[in-house]
Amino acid sequence: MNPLELTLGIMTAVGGFVDISELVFAAKAGSQFGYALIWVFALATVGIIVFSEMSGRVAAVAKQPVFNLMRHRLGLKLGLLTLAASVVSTLITCAAEIGGVALILNYLTGAPYVLMAIAMTGFFIASIWVLPFKWIERTYGLLGLFMIIFATALVAINPPWSQFAGGFVPQVPKGLSTKELLTFGYFTVAIISAVMFPYEVYFYSSGGIEEQWGPKDMLTNRLTSIIGMGLGSTLAIAILANSAQLFGPANVDPEIPGSAALQAAIPFGKWGLILALLGMFFAVAGAAIETCMANAYSIAQFFGWIWGRHKKPWEAPRFTLTWLVLLMLSLVIVLTGVDVMVLVEFAVLFSILVLPLTYLPLLLLAGDKKYMGEHVNGLFANALGWLYFAVITAAAVAALPLFILTSGGNG
Amino acid sequence: MTPDSPIKLVSELLDLPLIDSEGSFCGIVDDVELSGGAGKALQLKALLVGPGGYRGRLPAWAFWLVGKLAGDRLTQVPTEKVRTIHSAVHLECPGRDLGLHQSEAAAGRWIPRRGAM
Repeated sequence: MNPLELTLGIMTAVGGFVDISELVFAAKAGSQFGYALIWVFALATVGIIVFSEMSGRVAAVAKQPVFNLMRHRLGLKLGLLTLAASVVSTLITCAAEIGGVALILNYLTGAPYVLMAIAMTGFFIASIWVLPFKWIERTYGLLGLFMIIFATALVAINPPWSQFAGGFVPQVPKGLSTKELLTFGYFTVAIISAVMFPYEVYFYSSGGIEEQWGPKDMLTNRLTSIIGMGLGSTLAIAILANSAQLFGPANVDPEIPGSAALQAAIPFGKWGLILALLGMFFAVAGAAIETCMANAYSIAQFFGWIWGRHKKPWEAPRFTLTWLVLLMLSLVIVLTGVDVMVLVEFAVLFSILVLPLTYLPLLLLAGDKKYMGEHVNGLFANALGWLYFAVITAAAVAALPLFILTSGGNG
Repeated sequence: MTPDSPIKLVSELLDLPLIDSEGSFCGIVDDVELSGGAGKALQLKALLVGPGGYRGRLPAWAFWLVGKLAGDRLTQVPTEKVRTIHSAVHLECPGRDLGLHQSEAAAGRWIPRRGAM
């Protein structure tokens, strides 16, 4: 197997795990609760691996991406409702990523934020237009690997490794007030949502079809989902742990994405800061493209249009117009001046509400022998799938009350 | 599954994607047309593709909204043009021969044909 085939998983995961929302949530989680939320990342990572693998397998065997399945399984009304919620959530996320990338460029160059948002939207349009899918995933997937600086920084600051390892054990910290307990609950739900963002599965399964996966690609799919998501999770956990070690004791609340970059500046100085900002730039830029394309995939698949960037833009015209309009709409949201962090909070909240509707049809189809033949879910995959379905359903039910009670995790 | 299978397959047909003989997506089965009547066996006559097929499947306000956004066009695909039905409906001929790619063609007029690898 060509190692470059793993770039689909790496781009999906880097764009999903260390996008603008994760840069903020992971850093805030570490600063407020130390290592106590690492287990939530670990738990949700296994969940996204399970569902990514399943979606890739369905794409390879039944040649069906998630949204085709969803409409067939949920029916038109519920399918349309899911599509609408998903489009809104992913559009807000895309806007947050464009705002995030503009902020990072503002940190790097000092150029005005609005100008950078406009320039980057133009750059994203040019990227998707010019590059075929394989090159998009390779460029942004590989350049996102600059984020490894955060894992390196963690090793360099040498945290108390026993406490770090203890964070993998499910726990609720002792001695929290009711308000803090609710905030801990909100962070738990928000991390599950941010790690298992539905757009990751839409992008991943559509990417499998873009790459023309077939039953012979089962191993590629399995490795891509495990290594890609595992890497993304490692980076997010590194950001959390750096924050627990560096920001928590100093009472620093990393409210803005730039705070995370300081984690690399402390052990490595100026070059650490530059590498961290470059990593964040490519990861968030990849996430902007991933969210925009995931949304266009969803809409095109739901209505049965020709789609895909393995085709030239004029060979899939409605799909092309859709991603162009979605990028422009995202830019308009950014230009209204709304705070990127507010966008992130709403994106996470909307996403968790659609998670069960996204994953149920997938679970049903991957377990259907008529469609999947010998590649149907085994006992283990089915058990894990239903277990995680229960987890995300519980998280979806708890999300809105916790969001309201904690003012979006702000206490 | 084949198109002449029992009529109970109608519910399984709804919302399946259509793929033409060139491998292109060309819509979704939005509704079906049946023939027959009292005392006669029901037969699947055609698959209906297009937002007009949402009538009766969505609340009136939602159908009105869809109509404003996407129109109420409806294209008939005779069952004899269906090759196989599985996780998608595969057609025996190119979608354009059945009038299925009109909206793609209309959108295509807005897209410049240059610059992509």
